Amino acid sequence: MSFFSAQGISAGYGADDIIKDISFSVEAGQLTGILGANGSGKTTLLKAICGILPHSGSCTLKGEGLEELSPKKLARRCSYIPQRSGISIDISALDVVLMGFNPRLGLLESPDSAMISAARQALTRVGLTGMENTNYLHLSEGQKQLCILARTLAADSSLLLLDEPESALDFRLRHRMLHTIRSWLAEADRCGIVTLHDPSLALNFCDRLLLLSGGVLTGCIRPGEDDLDKMEAMLETIYGELSLLRCKNRSGQEQLVMLKEGRI
Amino acid sequence: MKPSMALPTAKTKALCGAGAVLLTVLAAASLFVGKYPLSAEKLLAGDELQRRVFWTLRCSRTIVGVVGGFALGAAGFIYQTVFRNPLASPDIIGVSSGASAGAAAGILFLSGAAAVTASAFAGALLAVVLALTLSGLDQRGRNSTIVLAGIAVHSLAQTALMCLKLTADPERQLASIEYWIMGSLNGISLHSIGGNLVLCAVCLTALFLLHRQVILLCAEEGEARMLGVDVGRLRLVILLIATLVVSSVVSLSGLISFVGLLAPHGARLLTRDNRVGTMLLSGLLGGCLLCGADILARSIAATELPVSIFTSLLGAPFLIFLIVKGRKCP
Repeated sequence: MSFFSAQGISAGYGADDIIKDISFSVEAGQLTGILGANGSGKTTLLKAICGILPHSGSCTLKGEGLEELSPKKLARRCSYIPQRSGISIDISALDVVLMGFNPRLGLLESPDSAMISAARQALTRVGLTGMENTNYLHLSEGQKQLCILARTLAADSSLLLLDEPESALDFRLRHRMLHTIRSWLAEADRCGIVTLHDPSLALNFCDRLLLLSGGVLTGCIRPGEDDLDKMEAMLETIYGELSLLRCKNRSGQEQLVMLKEGRI
Repeated sequence: MKPSMALPTAKTKALCGAGAVLLTVLAAASLFVGKYPLSAEKLLAGDELQRRVFWTLRCSRTIVGVVGGFALGAAGFIYQTVFRNPLASPDIIGVSSGASAGAAAGILFLSGAAAVTASAFAGALLAVVLALTLSGLDQRGRNSTIVLAGIAVHSLAQTALMCLKLTADPERQLASIEYWIMGSLNGISLHSIGGNLVLCAVCLTALFLLHRQVILLCAEEGEARMLGVDVGRLRLVILLIATLVVSSVVSLSGLISFVGLLAPHGARLLTRDNRVGTMLLSGLLGGCLLCGADILARSIAATELPVSIFTSLLGAPFLIFLIVKGRKCP
């Protein structure tokens, strides 16, 4: 049995489904990327998995159906990072991270000192050391994304869903964020599903890539196993003519690089 | 260790201390200021007239001024946070218009101040239950649905109020309705406030205990759900409690404008956070504003003026001062 599996997921915002009959599975420790053009249904798929959007089909995590869980139980098992957090009040970065402990707290309980300490560690881990008392609204968009990531890491759930978590980050921070996520997934029984706009980043950090087009799953790439021609052909169905190269950086580490070909 | 979530900062503690001192001073002044001046010596000496004025007039209006102002300020903090809207107030789900219609019905069909209070309370509660029931038809429990339901109920209550005004005797009943809508702490009897105060205190305690949940509701709805919050149910419970707080006050005093809007803004501009200390400060500022306004309402002119005039006159410049000060010191 897979660590996480989605079976026949269909969902949308109105009468018509945006994503149709999507099925896939993810093994423990793996990071699965979802690639697709704008409007292909990447965010809809993540929202359906975590139950924010009503959907048909079912999701199973460690043998347990996610649809049957109460909001609190679901939040203990599954964390979701939206493209942009809706927090719009004056609140410290530390308090935002402490929100991640809510699923483990009773209605009238407050975070204890161990939780506060874990929240500080999570902020340090994402590179926001010393910013715990900074107003969340005063952080840059990139720092806000890192703060929300820290909240998710502190929540310590088994399934991590990330919706373009790197969109506001610079080149260095994008790599650092995905590296942090990968090492976090490897620490315990966890798996992650991430939507990314940058295919190069996805090719180098994800174990598997699901290709979404028009709300339908059109293919699956394993960057570590598949040959370049096969990957190139599949990616061209989304991004048009392109070429894929394996390059080594100065320290000898091999990376996949995607270049646009033909007319733009 | 730096404070977090439930713990107020040193600055907030100092501000709350200052607010509590100011509220105590205003409450003491409220006991002695008015058309019939009281003195501590005569009261202690057992002057019968002074004692009667103290117990029948001043005591009750001071208690309602302090508790009512505190309640409106703290409830305003809740409404603005839950609706993620700085202009949110009890009007947003129709509580004020429901109370007005209830009070008007009480003035027309019942007799006695206590009956009008009970009728206003019933009107406020009916409006809110109707608004929340209508919003419950949307299973996703979105903020916008509650606001739309509130607007619908507000319009219905306003229509009912207009119909009641049309049937009112223009000499006595219509004037009483208008005077009630303008708000006043005059003529509140000590015997009639007990139930309202107990309800208000219980609901305020519950709101302070639920503060962490209130802050979780400030996230986007899907985000809050993924933090383990049963958004629809929690929001309904918190709004119902906050509305009971407001209803228990306005059914005694009539409509009091601006306190629920200004006090939370003032508190946030002073502390620059939304911790529980800021909610407390919001209540203290509300108490100071209502007490101060009530002192002016009964001492500036020959006849007593509506208290809402002074809550706005005192509050608006204070808010403008805080906004200008806040812009200079980001």
